[in-house]
Amino acid sequence: MTLSSILNGKLMYTSVIVGLLLIFLLCALMLKMAWARCIELGVPREKIMDAVKSSVIFSIVPSVSIVIGLFSLAAVLGVPWPWFRLSVVGAVSYELMVADMVATGAGFESIAALSASNDPSQLGAIMFVMSIGIMAGIVTVTFFGKKIQTSMTGFRERNGAWGALATNCFTLAMMVVFLPVQVLKGPVFTATLLTSALVTALHGVIIKKTGWKWLSNFVLADSLILGMVASVFFANLFA
Amino acid sequence: MKNMKYSDKIHLVGRIGSLMSIGIMLGIPAIVCSTYDLWPSFGEVMSIGGGVLAMFIPTAVSEVFSYTPILGSACYLAFITGNVMNLKLPCAISAMEIADVTQGTEAGDAISTVAIAASSMLTMVIIAIGVVLLVPLQPILGLPAVKTATAYMLPALFGGMFLGMLTNKNAGEYVIHGKLLATVAPIAVLLIVNFFITPIAGKEGMAMLAEIPFTVFCAWVLYKKGIIKVELAKKPDAEPVEERKEEA
Repeated sequence: MTLSSILNGKLMYTSVIVGLLLIFLLCALMLKMAWARCIELGVPREKIMDAVKSSVIFSIVPSVSIVIGLFSLAAVLGVPWPWFRLSVVGAVSYELMVADMVATGAGFESIAALSASNDPSQLGAIMFVMSIGIMAGIVTVTFFGKKIQTSMTGFRERNGAWGALATNCFTLAMMVVFLPVQVLKGPVFTATLLTSALVTALHGVIIKKTGWKWLSNFVLADSLILGMVASVFFANLFA
Repeated sequence: MKNMKYSDKIHLVGRIGSLMSIGIMLGIPAIVCSTYDLWPSFGEVMSIGGGVLAMFIPTAVSEVFSYTPILGSACYLAFITGNVMNLKLPCAISAMEIADVTQGTEAGDAISTVAIAASSMLTMVIIAIGVVLLVPLQPILGLPAVKTATAYMLPALFGGMFLGMLTNKNAGEYVIHGKLLATVAPIAVLLIVNFFITPIAGKEGMAMLAEIPFTVFCAWVLYKKGIIKVELAKKPDAEPVEERKEEA
């Protein structure tokens, strides 16, 4: 058997499809449980639906970018394994880096060279290392997820106004870290970020002036798409 | 299971799901290796895998501790399906805003799970469509303009998301005034570290782990000094909660 025939073989497709179906079912089960809980807690059905619509609309563009990553990964690792890796936890840069580390460790010049040789001997090592190397997040959340979440809810309930402010600090800290990092990356990043913010602000004005509440479902998706479109212009402008 | 509280049930399902995902992630290579007799030696896997683990453990652990308070019980799905920062967190934050629920509350937690589950399912469907349409889509998604736009996805995402966070004063039953002041010192420290010690890019998860307690501390000081004010919402003349408590 050659590397390519194993990577694109029936067994690989079947295992990946079964694995992805199980994870899809897990998502569906948790969605059902959380939806029912929202109703129990008195969140109006329309608001839950709006949250779902907004999430789904927003997720389209980042998901398409994952598909772009799939193309580059499929060139060296076949179709089904990158399909699985990018649907579950993985990211293109990580997958390529790890596959390359195994290939160079085995004496090949790169993962591309290993792929071109069609030698399957390193495939097991590549697949296991890819899986093991990225598991730390899932393992940690399995052990500590509940403790972190229940402590957070308990803290907020016990501390009233201060609890509300303290829990807000987590998203503030996220802004503290990610905003300067993006701005410091250069003028194209800054201009793209400002364009996206401007699009969001304009949506806010339109919603306020017209009362089109439905538009709020599209704010995040629109700012993402228009920001990305503008980035192409800025990349040429600042080139 | 029927008599269990929701929070116990959702965490149980999340944990079982996480273990199942780990099983699938290791199971597929195991099936392939057994079928084609390609088992690598333990030393071979650990010599490279150990290095990769050492590189990724600090980031992965810091991300779990930094993002889980925002994600709530959706943390399991978020970490199983990945793309936490560029997909799952924005979904959760935006969904909580749209549904008028607050982070750190039970309703916020449930809405966050709904949003992340829906987003994960859609992503899986789109990738599956991408697999089916691999050949016809490749020339379009391979265009230089599409690649450039994809490279700037994060700033395009953060601009809109952070503006919403900056202008939103609501925190459930409370309204917070002046919360941005709590970010001044943390941003200054981050810039100092970035310029004089080590670049932050690529270490955001670890930076957040340090910035969360520091931001909470700054907020605490400013709150105690009365510079950041937290008032009860929906009151015509909301008075500072701290004073209300003292009167009681």
